[in-house]
Amino acid sequence: MKHILAALAITALSAVPALAEFPEKPIEIIVGYSAGGGTDVMARTVAKFLEKELGNGASVIVKNMPGAGGQIGFTEVAHAAPDGYTLGTFNLPAALALTKDRKADYNAESFTYLANFVDDPNTVVVSQSSQFKTLDELLASAKENPGSITFGLSSLGGNDHFAANMMADASGAEFTLVPFKGAAMARTALLGGHVAAGTMALSQTTEFKNELRVLAVLSEERSSFRPDVPTAKELGYNVNMSSLRGIVGPAGMSSEVSGVLQDALIAVNKNEEFQKTMAGQGNPIAFADGETFRDIAKSQDNIVGALWEKTPWK
Amino acid sequence: MYSELLHALPEVLTFANFMAVIVGVVAGIVVGAMPGLSATMAISVLVPFTFGMSPLVALGLMAGIYNGAMYGGAIPAVLLRIPGTPAAVATTFDGYPMAQKGQGGFALQVAVVSSSIGGIASAIALMVLAPPLSRVTLLFGPSEVFWVAIFGLASIIFLLGGNPVKGLISACFGVFVSVIGSDPIFGNDRFTFGQLEMLDGINIVILLVGLYALPPVIDLLEVPLKTDGVNGSKLGTEPIWRALPRMKRFWKTWIRSSIIGIWIGILPGAGGSMAAFMSYNEARRASRTPDTWGNGEPEGVAAAETANNADTASALIPALTLGIPGTAVAAVMLGGLLIHGLQPGPMLFRENPDIVFGFMWQFLFGAILLVLLGGSLATNSFARLLNLPRPLLGSVIIVLMLIGVYSIHGRMFDVYLMLLFGAIGYVMDKLKFPLPPVVLGLILGGFAEENLRLALRIGRGDWSILFANVTSLVIVALTVAVIVGPMIKRLLSKDGKTAEGN
Repeated sequence: MKHILAALAITALSAVPALAEFPEKPIEIIVGYSAGGGTDVMARTVAKFLEKELGNGASVIVKNMPGAGGQIGFTEVAHAAPDGYTLGTFNLPAALALTKDRKADYNAESFTYLANFVDDPNTVVVSQSSQFKTLDELLASAKENPGSITFGLSSLGGNDHFAANMMADASGAEFTLVPFKGAAMARTALLGGHVAAGTMALSQTTEFKNELRVLAVLSEERSSFRPDVPTAKELGYNVNMSSLRGIVGPAGMSSEVSGVLQDALIAVNKNEEFQKTMAGQGNPIAFADGETFRDIAKSQDNIVGALWEKTPWK
Repeated sequence: MYSELLHALPEVLTFANFMAVIVGVVAGIVVGAMPGLSATMAISVLVPFTFGMSPLVALGLMAGIYNGAMYGGAIPAVLLRIPGTPAAVATTFDGYPMAQKGQGGFALQVAVVSSSIGGIASAIALMVLAPPLSRVTLLFGPSEVFWVAIFGLASIIFLLGGNPVKGLISACFGVFVSVIGSDPIFGNDRFTFGQLEMLDGINIVILLVGLYALPPVIDLLEVPLKTDGVNGSKLGTEPIWRALPRMKRFWKTWIRSSIIGIWIGILPGAGGSMAAFMSYNEARRASRTPDTWGNGEPEGVAAAETANNADTASALIPALTLGIPGTAVAAVMLGGLLIHGLQPGPMLFRENPDIVFGFMWQFLFGAILLVLLGGSLATNSFARLLNLPRPLLGSVIIVLMLIGVYSIHGRMFDVYLMLLFGAIGYVMDKLKFPLPPVVLGLILGGFAEENLRLALRIGRGDWSILFANVTSLVIVALTVAVIVGPMIKRLLSKDGKTAEGN
């Protein structure tokens, strides 16, 4: 017993210098989208504050590897050496939806989940000039004339799409789904009256408060950004869908390294200036530590898998 | 609103903010002039650095680069028949023949003055008309945009060159390339051969660099000791103030092309190359001497260059008010705005008037500075490039091409793809297949397909949705007029001749 304790003590002692040394070279955060996108801007903001929290002149670099809806970047992270020097942004449910509808060289188990920063709930939204004032009015019309209500989405196989499918499921209504190229295009079609409704994320609606009417937020509780808007659950439809953005590393990271990173990311989140910058960029922060993030990812994986089984989109 | 516009002015004129525009314009001209390096790329590289800058310095650099690059692309287009940016393809049509006739200097001066005029018109549109023009954008849903694409495709007729069959084959090749990648609605793979790199389709810059830049470079190297052709001493440069009076007759083209450029800019997803093509065609249609076009007509350079600068600031109208960038460059700029906490939308103008209106001023100053900086830079230094020994010039361009294409996504795959297109371009060049229809087919083919399918989804498979409103019908009528008009004209003139004969 004494020997074991001594051995433990020695490893613990020898671990200390190793800990103090990490990071001894620049850390890379891989972003699967182009520079200047929402995820990229989040990554750069996190990188800036992470450098400060890691201390010791640590340097954190953002590397863009755009392509295939983020898949190229996610794959790169999953296959990197788990030494803590290659991290990546992780978008849910998008990253895991990609593993269902096409061949992917990673799955939910391929990552070490470090921290989630953004949780942006989906909504059901119409234009301010729309005849529909409440969710029930919209759904009643969709039931009366199945398919007559068009929903503008940012893409198929994304959270907008899943939100619309889950709403249809919960209400028994039938919608016509129109996948645009990106949320802003869907929003413009909604503003121009080319589609009747949308399921875009709440952050996409905040700058258009006078132009859009948000009928419901698809989250467990009302959002602090729009406390005036009811949740779908309150209105009798138990639908939760959101877009999450966090930081992951490859699976198999040593607990020392992932511990250092997780602690630093927790400290980043506590930084007031960080909170202010993120809010200025329109990012609804909902911090989740590594373990919670992993659980969210697993449950999202199941939801997306079930949706793909039931209503495959291609 | 106009008082806010004036209120933003003093801040723009501070030393650092104004210098940013100057540096941006110069950098933009240089980047635009290098085949393979585009404004989109330059601004993406810049975006991360803007973190530490004050907002107006960052935005001033971007506005300057955008304006400068749109003109810079004309320099190699005129001198070497290599468009420096996708938007400069139409500039090669008359610019290069002018250079061969020894009027390269004048062609560049026409280009810089026209670019500047287009840029100024666009900046003014952004400053005073942004809110009303953003309502015009809202009128264009998928079915309307589909018809705009068809209108653009109809103009391919004028780009076919001497041999319509070869021209149509070129156009079909372009449309085929637009099909590669995941399909725009369901995301099914098309001709990707399982390559992740192909899923997003073929980036226009990769095709353009391969197709347009490689064959002329091979040409340069095939006859390394050839000394005739264009050279610096034969450029025909003269002070810009002496060249200006000769441009007075372009005023109609300047106005028409500015309007076309601004209009294309506010349409989501169209972009500078489409603006330049359309404005070139319209100017040629309006010309009394359409036969001189394509053989060194300075007005052709004016038309193309006015339009590709006229869509710069106007592309920011939908970008700032609706969050939808009108061009790839505007998309990257949105990221630069986001970094400084400026989120697009109607609130932006109310929450940060000083920065937004300051940014607009910077666009205006960028466009004005273009004449001063571009005028001297282009004629005095860049044009001298042609005095370089041909093997040296050729190898420098190849290196630039490789770097530029690699830097788009940071992968070698794109470089190989570019070389493949280069081989195709070389063969097409030797067999006299025209290249412009390929570019137009690629841009508009994908654009038309995506919007047609979105429109049909909205209409639940009912084709009548395509004719369901006035905006669509107006564009359909215009398209028909463009195609049928010249035929009727020709018939009428034939009738007239036979009547006289009788």
